[in-house]
Amino acid sequence: MSLWSTLNRGVFKRTSTFAVAIAAGSFFFERAFDVASVTIFESINKGKLWKDIKHKYEN
Amino acid sequence: MTSVVRAGHLAPYFKSTSPVISNGLKVAAAVPTSPDKIVIEPLPKTSTVQSLHGALPISGLKAKVNPRLQTQARFAHTDIAYPDYSAYRRKEVQDPKSKNQESIDGRQSFTYLIAAAGGVGGAYAAKSVVTHFVSSMSAAADVLALAKIEIKLGEIPEGKSVTFKWRGKPLFIRHRTADEIATEKAVPVDTLRDPQHDDQRTQDPKWLVVIGVCTHLGCVPVANAGEFGGYYCPCHGSHYDASGRIRKGPAPLNLEVPPHSFLDDGLLVVG
Repeated sequence: MSLWSTLNRGVFKRTSTFAVAIAAGSFFFERAFDVASVTIFESINKGKLWKDIKHKYEN
Repeated sequence: MTSVVRAGHLAPYFKSTSPVISNGLKVAAAVPTSPDKIVIEPLPKTSTVQSLHGALPISGLKAKVNPRLQTQARFAHTDIAYPDYSAYRRKEVQDPKSKNQESIDGRQSFTYLIAAAGGVGGAYAAKSVVTHFVSSMSAAADVLALAKIEIKLGEIPEGKSVTFKWRGKPLFIRHRTADEIATEKAVPVDTLRDPQHDDQRTQDPKWLVVIGVCTHLGCVPVANAGEFGGYYCPCHGSHYDASGRIRKGPAPLNLEVPPHSFLDDGLLVVG
């Protein structure tokens, strides 16, 4: 409960800190979301990507 | 005259009482009451039109008041249920005696957390959309394919060949020394495979501007190498001189000279 109260009183109640928290959160969210989506894409297309067949054409 | 006085056929309209029309419901019978207690007949539970109509206070009193007792019949407050808000309350405040301040952090922070998560997702989506549209304003591939390049000649020392990228191809700018210029101008044109005099290939003899793609199979030659002191293609051993002309090896043509012009303030524009 003290975590919630700290979060509520320190961050959420004031609009300025709330906006800063959203901006900072979106920075990390973007990074995590992009990494996750690239990982999913590469796992679906495993074996078709350049990095998977590169060893056949480059030494 | 008599017809007016003896208007028997108009009699129903002059009657002072109106006929009583029953609504089909029994009027509640008087209930004997003890002096200290009002007995109210319970309302019918079934929610038909007739029962609801009977619940209205227009159809006769449901309670009889003892004339010796000063009291009143209460229609609201006793038979109408107070609205139940428990479906709208968080579980922390289901009990009406619980204090709001004790659980406000948990309740508010959860709501704000949902709002913040929505804000983060919205900011990410907005940034993606804006980036998409802004990047559509950058130069298109067909514009870049006709691009010009400006080169500051003062930064290239004498005797040095510098490589730039121009329209996706390497571009060699060579600041030739006086010895090189004299050598290239003295080469007899009829001995060359692709006969071009040095004056045809350069606007200013101090500067050689050629595209660094070997005319044989498209490799990029190496500057300041080969038997003629110009360019040497490592793929199949084509030797170019300091004017970019093919002198030895399999390449059929001289290195291509792109359209270029010199501006006054030491700038070379290629393209």
